[in-house]
Amino acid sequence: MRRTVVVLAGLALLAAGCGKSGHESGGKVLVAVDIPVTGSPYIAQTIRHGVDLATSGINSGGGLIVGNRSYQLDVKVYDNHLSARRAVADTRSALDADAVAIVTDGTGLDATWQIAAKEHVPVGIVYDGASGLVDPQSRPNVFRIAPTNHGMAFRYAEYLIPKKLEIGLLHDDSAYGQEGSADLEKAFSENPESVATRLTLPAGSSDLSAQILRARRSGATALLVWGQPPTIAAVLTAARSLGWQVPVYAPPTGADPYIRQRLADHPDWVDGLTFAGSRLTAEVGTGPFLSFQSQYEAAYGADKVGVKTSEGKAVLQPPEFAMYSYDFAHVLVAALTRAGSLDSTKVLAALNQVTTQGANGDERGFNEHNHEGVVDDDVYFARFHDMTYAPVKDDPLSSTLPSIPQTR
Amino acid sequence: MSRRARLVLAFSAAALALPAAAASEPRQQVVLPGPVPYPTPVPPLVGKTALPQIYIAPALHIGSVELVKVGVGPDGRPVRVRVRQRLLVRGQGDYQLAISGPIDDVSPAPGTQSSPGLRSDQLLWAGFSPGRKVLAADAFLRARDAAPYLPLRLRLQRDGDRAVLTVTNATVVPQQVYSGKVQLPELARLLDETRRASLAGVRLKGTFANFIGEVRTLKQPVRIAAPLRVQGQLTLPGQAPVSFDRTLGDGQPLSFQVEARGQGVPKVHLQARPAPVVRELRPRGASTWAAALSRRSQPVDEVVHRLMTTRMQMVRSDQFQSFLADPDADGRARSVYEYETVAVRSHRSAAARAPQEDGGGSDALLVALAVIGSVVVAGSGLVAWAHS
Repeated sequence: MRRTVVVLAGLALLAAGCGKSGHESGGKVLVAVDIPVTGSPYIAQTIRHGVDLATSGINSGGGLIVGNRSYQLDVKVYDNHLSARRAVADTRSALDADAVAIVTDGTGLDATWQIAAKEHVPVGIVYDGASGLVDPQSRPNVFRIAPTNHGMAFRYAEYLIPKKLEIGLLHDDSAYGQEGSADLEKAFSENPESVATRLTLPAGSSDLSAQILRARRSGATALLVWGQPPTIAAVLTAARSLGWQVPVYAPPTGADPYIRQRLADHPDWVDGLTFAGSRLTAEVGTGPFLSFQSQYEAAYGADKVGVKTSEGKAVLQPPEFAMYSYDFAHVLVAALTRAGSLDSTKVLAALNQVTTQGANGDERGFNEHNHEGVVDDDVYFARFHDMTYAPVKDDPLSSTLPSIPQTR
Repeated sequence: MSRRARLVLAFSAAALALPAAAASEPRQQVVLPGPVPYPTPVPPLVGKTALPQIYIAPALHIGSVELVKVGVGPDGRPVRVRVRQRLLVRGQGDYQLAISGPIDDVSPAPGTQSSPGLRSDQLLWAGFSPGRKVLAADAFLRARDAAPYLPLRLRLQRDGDRAVLTVTNATVVPQQVYSGKVQLPELARLLDETRRASLAGVRLKGTFANFIGEVRTLKQPVRIAAPLRVQGQLTLPGQAPVSFDRTLGDGQPLSFQVEARGQGVPKVHLQARPAPVVRELRPRGASTWAAALSRRSQPVDEVVHRLMTTRMQMVRSDQFQSFLADPDADGRARSVYEYETVAVRSHRSAAARAPQEDGGGSDALLVALAVIGSVVVAGSGLVAWAHS
């Protein structure tokens, strides 16, 4: 009897030592997150939350299984201050800390990717859609899950040209505005008759009356403004102050809460603003995204825009960019599992071979020829009304998409 | 009496002519060949990796058109296989497609409205169709892995001033065939349906025949081949090309030879496409099987055999319409196989050699000349020193 008890106790100890998953503990694996905490706090926070949500879910589910070991994922945040120089220093620090991957908004990527490439460490962009940042041939360690400027520009051309509008192509002089302008030029190059004027706007200027008056005199019947949120707010302010009800189209920055906060006293000025983004729901419906959103809100609370609808309901911002960083973390984990090793070369190769289901129900993954996790076809258009937005009905993809609830 | 009435009478007589005992014999419905399963697992080609889950929105239909370009060496053996696949997506909705095969590389083909993705042995497409979308890609295959599944074998031989090309249908596969008693009117109807599908170039519809009594399996498997229409030319330098246009199968030989006379390296260029079964489904002396069998009775065994084997040929022919898979199993697929004599060089090695051809080669030549020059100078110096 005593022998039986000893054997059972031994087995129990063995089982306890093996942990829940039955794998030997391998320690911690670091994921670095390099974001503009002090330069663009809303974007930084939402990216960070996305990675945190993914890694905490994996950790609580038994951790990351690589080979026969189980690892806990650790997230370390670096603040790049929207500075390329700072991003370089952050990348070096992350590599010194043996990070398996670096998640970034895209700041300084032209300088940082090579540093990471020397160590074969993957870099995942989850915000900046600029063309040229991602190239599987020349930058094999750079991946992106975020809508691309190229995709949005071409989708805008496809959407607007048949409307026979005379479009004023406006961009601000920020890097974001200039990069977007280059893609718009390419997209509209075969239909120059659709472009009424091209104007560069000073980023950060709150008074754009002179430029908007010029656009109006050019005969423009629509404005496509590629710029930072303050620029889009300033364009709306100038146009509506002049009594010009021209339709305004924007990139994803058009959905930034800043614009609604800035124009909170004139909610009708926001009405009709249309922006391009990556769809938040897949064909399976709203279920997956709403489930992700409820997890996000349970962990971090809802992202309040700070404005209300005409009925007095508080407006919330759906966690779009958190979804991208969340998805990248999951694709990374799938690659680590497939590689069966923490060897960076193997992990990098495995990133080209795995697919996971994204937070919105879409498949997310990369391949040897394409390191873009959001395909151009996924770009949709949404229009504001009463401080919330809904997919437009005059675009084939957008018309199939349901609205995401944005009030509470 | 009208022709139609005469036919009905004749059919009734044929039905009554079955032995009275047949009425008491058990009947069973036997599923006839087609549209699937195919007699072999490949084609469509398969790769070495497991495919991810594919998704096609319920409203979407995808058709596939393929041009399989086979580069053959001087002996006629395949050295390069490239498939230009053009998928036409109709309907509105999402798609997430993965096509398997021994795929080395892919690139966008002219007319495509999206870019193909590549994973190990997989060609990928993902996106949204607004109503109609063209997805076209060139898939570069590993010739060694793809060649065994090509529908033709070529052999080019030199014999003095004769160049002989032998073209062989390589789709032959042994198949078990059922035999038994089926009423002639039913057989006539089934043969006419099969013939209509073959002439229209559409896939067979699943159907069955009512067998009376025992259903036997023939002891010897029957050799089934996809009929192939082969058109092309064999050319020798300075000579007029020798043209050919044959059908291999459908009751005709499965191989033929073409001969050209002259000097130089022979070159072959031909196209092969899965063909309909025409000859073996042609009713004798009438426009339909119903009419033919009512005029002149044929042994039931022979007619059952004809029905079975022609349908098997059509299934085999349909199988070769998709060398790479059409992700929509119900989609219409068409393939043309083009064979052409090429220099022996794979896609990857061609790509790798390109930069060297641009400049690397001349650098290597300079280095070699410098080394030879140094040796000559050193040798001359040594000789001069020895004689000083």
